[in-house]
Order: sequence, then C-alpha cells, then structure tokens
Amino acid sequence: MSEQSNHIPSESDLIKGCLENNRQMQQFLYKIYAPKMYGVCLRYAGNVEDANDLLQEGFIKVYINLSKFRSEGSFEGWIRKIFVNTSIEHFRRKTQLYNITEAQENTIEDADINALNKLAVKDIIQLINELSPGYKTVFNLYVVEGYSHKEIAAMLGITIGTSKSQLARAKSVLKKSLEAINHETEKGNINS
Amino acid sequence: MDFKEPLYNYEVNPPENIWANIDAALSAESAQLPLRKKPRIYLYVASAAASVIIIVIGFIVFNKRPKELSASPAFANQITNGKKTQDSILLNNKILEEIITTTEDKNLLALNYEYSLKGRKYLTIAGPEGQPVKISPKAATLIESADNEFPPKPVWNKQVDKWQQIMLSNMLSPTSANLLDIVQMPVSGNNN
Repeated sequence: MSEQSNHIPSESDLIKGCLENNRQMQQFLYKIYAPKMYGVCLRYAGNVEDANDLLQEGFIKVYINLSKFRSEGSFEGWIRKIFVNTSIEHFRRKTQLYNITEAQENTIEDADINALNKLAVKDIIQLINELSPGYKTVFNLYVVEGYSHKEIAAMLGITIGTSKSQLARAKSVLKKSLEAINHETEKGNINS
Repeated sequence: MDFKEPLYNYEVNPPENIWANIDAALSAESAQLPLRKKPRIYLYVASAAASVIIIVIGFIVFNKRPKELSASPAFANQITNGKKTQDSILLNNKILEEIITTTEDKNLLALNYEYSLKGRKYLTIAGPEGQPVKISPKAATLIESADNEFPPKPVWNKQVDKWQQIMLSNMLSPTSANLLDIVQMPVSGNNN
C-alpha cells in the first residue's frame, strides 16, 4: 500500500468515500469493523461457515444502506444493528419459535451463570454456540446486546412470554454446562 | 454480569477470502446498477403507493359510521331501488366470494379479475351496512385476513386499527409483496 493508503481516514471521510463507491474506502471500513462484526456473527451463527456468510451479507448491506445512516448515533452501533438484524433473519430462516405461556418460565438467577466470568471468552462463545438457535438468539439479544424482552419479541415476531422463557431455558442449559465443567475440574484437581 | 463486556467486544480476524467475496459482490452490484437500480426504485415506490392506497381506501370505507349512512335516506333508496346497481352488486359479490373461497392462488385469481374488468378498476360489493363499496379485487384477500366469513362482517374497523398498530411497531416497510405477511403478525406486546 502507498503512503496515502496507510493513512487512516476520519469516520466522515470513510462514509463519504464508501458512498462514492470508492473501493479503497470500502476496504478500510471493512478492515476497521470486520474483526468486531465477525465476533458478533460467530456468537449468533453457531458455526464458522454460517458466520462467514453473515459477515459477507452484513457488509454488503452496510455499503448498500450507508446513505440511510443519519449520524444521530454511533456509526459502530449502526453497523452492529445491521449485523444483529442480518443474524436474526438468518435465525428466522432456520428455525421457528413456538409461543410458550409465562407459566412455563423458570427462575434461574443471574448468580447461577456468573460462573461464566471464570471462563475465557472463546470458551463462553463455545458454550453459547451449543445452545439451540432460539435460546442462543434470545440470550445474545438480551444478555449481550442489552435489548428488552419487548424489543426482542418485536424483532423475532414472538411474544414477550416466549422471549422470557427462551432466556430462562438458555440460562438453565448454561448452568448445567457450567456444573459439568466444574465437576470435571474438581475431578482433575483430585486426581492430580 | 461481567462476562457481557468481553462478549460484546469480542473480536476475531475473519478469513481473508471474505473481503474478496464482498469485493466481487460489490462489483457485480455496481455492474448491474444502471440496468436495475432505477426500475427497482420505481417498483418500491409503486408498491408503497399501492399499499398506502389500499390502507387509505380501507380507512375511508370501513370508518364510515352507521349513523352517517342512515342519515341519507336518498342514498339508501338509491341502493335498494336501482335494479342495475343490485345486479352489479350481486355479480361482484359472487366474484368476491369466489376469490375468498377459492383453494387456488387468491392473488392470481384477483389479478385475473382485475385484468378482465377493463375500464372498471374496482369491484362494487355490498359493504357491512348494505351500502355499495368499491374495492380492488386484490382487497378480497385482505378481507379474508380480516374475517373468514362471507359476507364479511363489520369487524373491519377493528382489524384495520390492528394492522395500523402492527405496522407502526414493525421494522419492516409494508409493500404489496409483504403486506399480508405483516398484517398476520401478532401485535407487539400481545401475548397471543
């Protein structure tokens, strides 16, 4: 790359360049945001192939819809929203959530899954990816992205009750996985 | 939960071939742009306009109160006395019934009628209060969404209000292609 191409453009120059269909600026934007967005894709997709497809689809949507960005919030937040929505569309194509009544919710406390703090991010993602697509999507949207159950229900076309039960079940599965990991660790400690 | 932050900011470098795929897709997109973008925009505008017209006609037609209708006896006489009008309503009701009850593709049948009604873009049917109502043949499928009985009952006002709520709370823009999918979604926050 030339000296000029090594210069990191400002966000507004980057957006302007991308809007002008400047491929170099589009590649800059990709280089800046791809690692973080790939992390998002891996959390929702469940496997590398799907994550690669989501990353590709998401960036094409970003370039095509860039003229709709109104500079009212953070640019990264806007890009992330496109990737979350792309992941949700992927999830909706793959699976269907059935509405469940509130009575079927269980009450796993956050403290029960706080043991996740002891794990490396990569291991947490592996555990999340072992969840079924419905549990995983609601868990990601609620716990990691910070959406409310009302917002999740609207995004996924499900009821608030279903969103709550999917989250409770996701936590329940994670709790069991964590217990199994702890058991294995203790066993290893005793043997050594 | 402390694990949320590292999960939210999780970064992984994506495989190198992803940018090459995006680059190729963007090139293909811009190569097709002059041929395809303008008609696409016109198509979206036309679809949006058609959806708005259907909704506006729905509001105008279905929001007429019985009081206003009964306040015009001359109008009521015109309905019942004109044999030509009655014959026309009977014929059109038959077409409407056929569209609603067919097990074939309703939209295709509605379109066929629209083409066969050259110069007459609307079907005149008896409305909930017996008044003549002009509707597009395509609206027959909407009536089916509103009320599975024939002749349709005056539940349309409520149904149109419900559609409005769904559309206001929905991320998707209504077009003639997805309007039926959207109106069949549950209202946001409704646990049914």
